[in-house]
Amino acid sequence: MEREFICIICPNGCRIKVEYEGTNIKKIKGDECPKGKDYVKNEITNPLRVFTGSVLVENGDFSLVSVKTPVPIPKKHLKKIGEITRQIKVEAPVIIGQVVASNLLNENIDLIATRKIENRKFLSSQ
Amino acid sequence: MQEKEVIIIGGGAAGLAAAVACKQKGIEDILIIERGDYLGGILQQCIHDGFGLEKFHTSLAGPEYAQRYIDQVKEKDIPFLLNSMVVNLTPQKEVIVVNNNGLAHYQARAIVLAMGCRERTRGAIGIPGARPSGIYTAGVAQELINLKNYMVGEKIVVLGSGDIGLIMARRLTLEGAEVIMVAEKLPYSSGLPRNINQCLYDFDIPLLLSHTVVNIEGNGRLSSVTIAQLGKRGGIIPDTKRKIVCDTLLLSVGLIPENELSRETGIVLDNITGGPQVDERGQTNIPGIFSCGNVLQVHDIVDNVSLEAEYIVEGVAEYLEGKLIKEQQIIVELGEGLRYVVPQKLISRKDTIFSFRVNQPEEKKVLVFNDGKRIIKEKFLRRVNPAEMVRVKLSSSELEGIKRLKVRLV
Amino acid sequence: MKATNNYYDVVIIGGGVVGCAIARELSKCKVNVAVLEKEDDVSWGISCRNSGVVHAGFNNKPGTLMAQFCVEGNKSFAALCRQLDVPYKKIGKLVVAKKKEEIKELQKLKQQGDTNGVDNLQIIDLNEVKRLEPNIEGIAALYSPETAITSPYLLTIALAENALDNGVSFFLNTQVKSITRLNNSRFKINTAKGEFISSYVVNSAGLYADKIARMVGIKKYRLYPCRGEYHILDKNVSWLINHLVYPVPQAGAGGLGIHLTPTIDGNILVGPSNEYIKIKNNFSTTSPVMKMLSAEARKFLPLISPGYIIRSYSGLRAKQSPSSEGGFWDFVIEESDTVDNFINLIGIESPGLTAAQPIAKRVVEIINKKERLSPNPNFNPSRKGILRFEEQDEETKKALIKQDPDYGEIVCRCEKVTKKEILEATNNPLGARSLISIKYRTRAMMGRCQGGYCLTRIIEILREYFDLNPQEILLKGDNSYLLTRYRRNKENELCKKKKLLSLAEELPV
Repeated sequence: MEREFICIICPNGCRIKVEYEGTNIKKIKGDECPKGKDYVKNEITNPLRVFTGSVLVENGDFSLVSVKTPVPIPKKHLKKIGEITRQIKVEAPVIIGQVVASNLLNENIDLIATRKIENRKFLSSQ
Repeated sequence: MQEKEVIIIGGGAAGLAAAVACKQKGIEDILIIERGDYLGGILQQCIHDGFGLEKFHTSLAGPEYAQRYIDQVKEKDIPFLLNSMVVNLTPQKEVIVVNNNGLAHYQARAIVLAMGCRERTRGAIGIPGARPSGIYTAGVAQELINLKNYMVGEKIVVLGSGDIGLIMARRLTLEGAEVIMVAEKLPYSSGLPRNINQCLYDFDIPLLLSHTVVNIEGNGRLSSVTIAQLGKRGGIIPDTKRKIVCDTLLLSVGLIPENELSRETGIVLDNITGGPQVDERGQTNIPGIFSCGNVLQVHDIVDNVSLEAEYIVEGVAEYLEGKLIKEQQIIVELGEGLRYVVPQKLISRKDTIFSFRVNQPEEKKVLVFNDGKRIIKEKFLRRVNPAEMVRVKLSSSELEGIKRLKVRLV
Repeated sequence: MKATNNYYDVVIIGGGVVGCAIARELSKCKVNVAVLEKEDDVSWGISCRNSGVVHAGFNNKPGTLMAQFCVEGNKSFAALCRQLDVPYKKIGKLVVAKKKEEIKELQKLKQQGDTNGVDNLQIIDLNEVKRLEPNIEGIAALYSPETAITSPYLLTIALAENALDNGVSFFLNTQVKSITRLNNSRFKINTAKGEFISSYVVNSAGLYADKIARMVGIKKYRLYPCRGEYHILDKNVSWLINHLVYPVPQAGAGGLGIHLTPTIDGNILVGPSNEYIKIKNNFSTTSPVMKMLSAEARKFLPLISPGYIIRSYSGLRAKQSPSSEGGFWDFVIEESDTVDNFINLIGIESPGLTAAQPIAKRVVEIINKKERLSPNPNFNPSRKGILRFEEQDEETKKALIKQDPDYGEIVCRCEKVTKKEILEATNNPLGARSLISIKYRTRAMMGRCQGGYCLTRIIEILREYFDLNPQEILLKGDNSYLLTRYRRNKENELCKKKKLLSLAEELPV
C-alpha cells in the first residue's frame, strides 16, 4: 500500500510518502528528520496523539486548569479522555506538571497540569 | 509623572520575551503594561501543545510556554501592571494608563509595542443574512471554552481554515460538540498542514476548499448557514448552494494586528501586514518606538514571536545608548511572488532577519535578494505556503555597501 | 401612580420612539399608562435601525402632517435631547447634485422647504460644496444647516426611562395577541404576559399597527415592510465627511436615496437601500444590496474602500403605499371613527424620529379633548443617561476612578467603555437584560472588533451579577442564547436543578 502522511511532530509538516505492507515499511520518502520515520511507523501500527484539555479548579485564581497527557496516547482514546476531563475537579493550588488524574481507562493514561493556578485571593476582612 | 527606561505595552508572548531580553541587556527600569488580568496573553487560552519546539526543543502547551517567561519575569523582578489599559501614547513616548487605581502618566525613553492582534469579524468580511446569536470568532470561542468553562454551541460549521479554526474544530469535538465541516474560500488551506491532519482528519471532519458561507439564517439563535462552492475567479457557483443545519458558525478568517493605539500616535502602518513599517530593529517611523510580535506582523508560530522580540531588543538597547544610527536608509523592494516583507526598510547594514509571506502555495522556489546589480543571496525553498512565514537571515557582510535591496521569489 | 391591578387609563402598544414619546407626554398628566412591548427592550423595531437623522423638513409635501411635524420636531429637538441627556449634533446636510438637471430639483426642494417653514436653506455652488466637503463629488448642493443627528435608540431609551420615572409602567416581552371590547366599553388586551384592561388604546405598533387595528375590526390599513440595508464604516474614516450627504431624491422613490450619514458616535453609515419585502421581521442583509451600497457610496466618495466596513445591517420602513406606487403617504394619527378611544398611528416612517415629539403631543391632544386630563404636578422632565468615562476630562476621570474603581476597568477597548458603564447598563431601569441592550446603552461591542475583546468579559459580568445559567445569557431576546451549557458536565446538572428550584419558588403558595 502507498500513502502520504503529513507529519505532525513539528510545524514543518513534512509530507512523507510511504510504501508499506501491513505494518512493514518498504519505502519511505520525504522525511526530513528521524522523528518523521518514527511518526509514520506509529501511524501505521498505533497512531498516537498528545491529548490536551482542561479541568475545573476549586478555589483557584482561575476556574480552569489546562492539562495534557505527558506522553502521546492511542488516538482512539482521545474523545473518551475528553469526556473524562469534563468530570474532573481539582483543588487549587496547582503547579505545572502536577498529576491531576492517573491511569485513566486502565490504560495508564495520566493527565498533568500545564498551567500554574494559585489560590484565589480573598480580600482581607475590614 | 513616573519615568521609565522602557515601557512594554502588552504582556503576551512578545511583551514577556521583550521584557526578559531587556533585562538581560542590562536595562533595569522596565514596565510591562497588560490589559488582561494575567500575563501570557492569548497563549493562556491556547491549551493545545506544539509550542516551543524551536525555542525550548520540546513540545509545550500554550500556558506552559507562557509560564517559562512569566517565571523569568518574576525571577528578574520585572514590574508589570495587570488590568491596565494604555489609553494614550504620544510621539514623545508619554504613556497614559487607566486602571482601578486611577489614571497615571509615565514618561518612557523607549517603547515596545507588543499588543498582539485581533480577529477579523463577520462584518469585515461581509457575510449576508440574518443576525442571530451563535456566530463567534474562533479566538473568542477558544477563550469561552478553555478559560471560562462555557460551550458556545453543539453543531458547528467553521468558516476559514486558519490555525485557530482548525485547533477549535478539534477542541469542540473533544468537548462533545459536532463539527460538521470546515469551509475555506481559497483553493488551499490557510492553516499549517500538521493541523489539518491532527485537527480535522483525525476526527473525520471534512475540509471543503473553495467553499464559503453565502448566507446566515436564524431568528434568535443561528439555525443554519448556506454554503456554496466558488469558481476559479472566486464567484459563487449558484447550483452548489446548500443549507447546512447548525447552531454555531465559527469564523477563522484572519487576524489583524491591533494597532489602534499606534495609529493614534501617528505611527505609519503597512497596508499589507497591518503592522507598523519598521526598520531592521523593529523601530517604527517614530524613533524609540519599537514593535514586535503579532502587532508587527501576524505569526504562525509563537517561537518566532519570542525570537523577534529578543531580536528587536538589540535595537532598543542600542537606541538607549545612542548607538542606533541611521547610516543610509533603503526601502526593501518587493518583487514577484511575495505578499510582504518585514522589515520594510534598513537603516544600517547589520545582520538582519527578514520575514516574508508568499502569495500562493508553490514548490521548488528560490528567494533571490539583489542590490540592483548583482545577486547577494539566494535561498532554495522546497515548498512555500502563505500559511507559513519564511524567515531568512542576511549577514552584515552580505548587506555591506548595498544601496538597494530587492527580493523576489522565482 | 402605578395601577394596583391590570387596569390602565391608557395602554400604548409598541415601545418604539413614538410609543415612548407618547408615554412620556402622557406622564405629564395624571393618568395611568402602560406600554406593552413585544421585544425584550424598547426601540428594537424600526426605531433602532434608521439613519438617526433629525430632518429639517424640506423633503415633505407642504400641508402634510409629515411636513408640519418634521419642522416642529426639528425646532424642538435640541431642547428635548438636552432634557433627556441624549446626544445631539447639528451638523447640517447637503443634498448634492451631480448633473446640471438636478440643480432644478434642488431649487424645488428649497422652495418646498421654505414653504414648510424650514430655516436657512441655501443653494451652494461647486466651490462651496468643495469647501464644506472636500472629498465629495458634486456640482452644487442644497445646504440645510438645521439638519442634525442623534442616537435613535438612546433617544427611545431616554424617553422610556423618563416616562418610567414619571409613573408609566413598561411591560417587555409582552406581545399583544388579541383585543376585545368589554361591556363597560373598556378594552381587554390579551398578551403573552396576561390580560390588561384599559379605557384607551394607542396603537403605535410600527409595522404591525395594521395587525393591531384588525384586532378591533379596523380593516382599512395595510402596512408594507420596505427594507433598507446599511453599511457601518470604521471610526478611523470619520474624517471623510463633515455633513450628512444625500443624493437628489428620485421622483416617486420611497426613500431618500443612498446617503452618507455621520453618526453621533463618529462612524459613517452608508445606506439605506429601498426594497419592498414580504416578511415583516426579515432584517437580513443581502449580497447584491451590500455590493450596490458600496458602489453607490463610491459615486459620492471615491475614497471609500470595502476595508472600511465594520458591519452591515438592515432596517424596515412601515409603508402605507404599495410597492407599485412607492413614494410617501402622510402619517395617519387619528382616533378610529368606528372604535371609540382607539387611537391609530399608521405609516410612521421617515421623518418619524424627528416628528416623534409632535406626534406624541397630537395623541395627547386627542385624549385630552375627551378627558380633560389634569397636569401631573410631580412631572420631572429630565433624565440622566449613563456617564461616559471616555468623554470626561482627565481630572474628572481621576475623580471617577477614585469614587468607583470600576471606572478604571476598561472592558470594551475599541469604544473605551468601562465596567462601571456596563454595570449601569445591565441595571437599566427598564430591566432589559440582553447583550444588545447593553450595547445600545454603552456602545460596548460596537467598535471595529465587534466584541472580540469585551464579549467574554460582559458575559462574565452578566452571569456574576444576575446569577444566570449559561443558557440564560441572551444576545437579543428570546431564543438568542449565546452559550449552550457549561463545558463541564457536573455544572450542568446543578444548573438544571437550580432552574427547577427557582420555578418551584415562583409558584403561588
